[in-house]
Amino acid sequence: MSGLTFNFDGGYAAFFAFAVLIIAGAVLMISTSKVVHMVMSMAAVFLGVGGMYILLDAEFLAFVQVLIYAGAISILMIFGIMMTNHRDAAAEAVKPLKETLAAVGALALFGLLFYAIRDADFADMGGGTLVPEEDNTAAIGMMLFHNQVLPFEIVSVLLTVAFIGAIVLAKKEAE
Amino acid sequence: MDWLSASPVTWYDALFVFLWGVVLMLVVLGFVTYAIYFERKVIGWMQFRRGPNRVGPFGLLQTVADILKLLIKEDTIPRKADRLLFVLAPVLAFIPSFAVLAVIPYTQKLYFADLNVGLLYYVALSGISTLAIVLGGWASNNKYALLGGMRSAAQMISYEVPLVISVTGVVLMSGTLNLRGIVDAQSGGWFWDWNFLPQIIGFAVFVIAAISELNRTPFDLPEAESELVAGYHVEYSGFRFAFFMLTEYVYVYAIAGLATTLFLGGWHAPAPFLDFIPGIIWFALKFAFIVFFLFWLRATLPRIRIDQLMGLGWKLLLPLSLANIFLTALFYELFQR
Repeated sequence: MSGLTFNFDGGYAAFFAFAVLIIAGAVLMISTSKVVHMVMSMAAVFLGVGGMYILLDAEFLAFVQVLIYAGAISILMIFGIMMTNHRDAAAEAVKPLKETLAAVGALALFGLLFYAIRDADFADMGGGTLVPEEDNTAAIGMMLFHNQVLPFEIVSVLLTVAFIGAIVLAKKEAE
Repeated sequence: MDWLSASPVTWYDALFVFLWGVVLMLVVLGFVTYAIYFERKVIGWMQFRRGPNRVGPFGLLQTVADILKLLIKEDTIPRKADRLLFVLAPVLAFIPSFAVLAVIPYTQKLYFADLNVGLLYYVALSGISTLAIVLGGWASNNKYALLGGMRSAAQMISYEVPLVISVTGVVLMSGTLNLRGIVDAQSGGWFWDWNFLPQIIGFAVFVIAAISELNRTPFDLPEAESELVAGYHVEYSGFRFAFFMLTEYVYVYAIAGLATTLFLGGWHAPAPFLDFIPGIIWFALKFAFIVFFLFWLRATLPRIRIDQLMGLGWKLLLPLSLANIFLTALFYELFQR
């Protein structure tokens, strides 16, 4: 795949399919009015991103993405929507100033992320590098539990704290 | 993805993949048709009835007639339903159920996809069906359907956790997520080399959680006809309803295949002197046993209550499956270095 020769192989076909899924999902997410439809569009985006990970040889990440985002997070959001029992919001009057500011903010965020990602040096993460190989699940496991074990444990403690906090808050509300 | 980019996709390749998909589809449809017949016969036999025996010889065409009836039935969509999601939900439920079958290996040579994260693929995709069930219940715009959908989702999420954790022990033992690799790791020659004995806790948790994932008796609360009319698919009729039923039975196929590969040694014979019988026969026997076991349970056990269901899942199965991982890891750390 060098230069401008366009070689239509399976990778390209899959890339276009996933790209269309992601972009269509993202556009629908903004343009539909019902919240459940928005969640569904978002689930489509998550699936598309999972597909992209497969094309990048990151199968483990891809299926974890589908499991956590397309599966768990989408269902969580749907549950949240159903529990809160609201009506479809009527279209609000659009304020030009607000819209301009939002557009500037979005562009600035994009620029920031783009710059940060372009600038990041993934080769030097401070604790060894991940060498993509045949079985990258094992490689990720080795990396997480050898070089990055401290951050990993801290994240799990953080999640446990958040979990217990949520239960405490829910209990208080119930009483 | 070297295999994907190595050569341009030719029409021949596409046709080849498509045809194998069609073959698998036909096999699965045949399985579903006769699994339903078999289920009704087995339950009839256990309850001293005859079961279906009118349509065709021994009633063999009963399910075919039932399916035909469903297909030519009027397709109703409630006026106040969310039309798009109502139509989408059965399709969204079915696609993952069929897609997960791709990773199940039948013999050493006969398999569809040799994925090195096969187990994860199965778990990830089957979660999407839960989403479809909630959507179907919500889109019907009917309180019974919504309640059924919520219950179903709550049940499937609660039991997905112990299900996934219970197979982690198997993954620890075989050191791979590839289902073919997991079967290969059980090739000791004898049946005690299969994972179900060393992983007996994991196996028990897996079986219970799997039955609950399938929404089958004694965990068929989503369908509790006496309290919920029919669960999340009350408003569905005709072929859309058929799709939901098809999804359930395709998952029976998938879970039976998964249990066979993970715990019952896949295509391996139970003893070395039985090796002359081809692996596909062994796979089919174990597979059929699990399917029979599901029907047997349905004829034997009553349905349990929703609070008992949740208690069982979170207070018993989850700690047990966690203990199983801990024990397995401890054993490997102490004895198998």
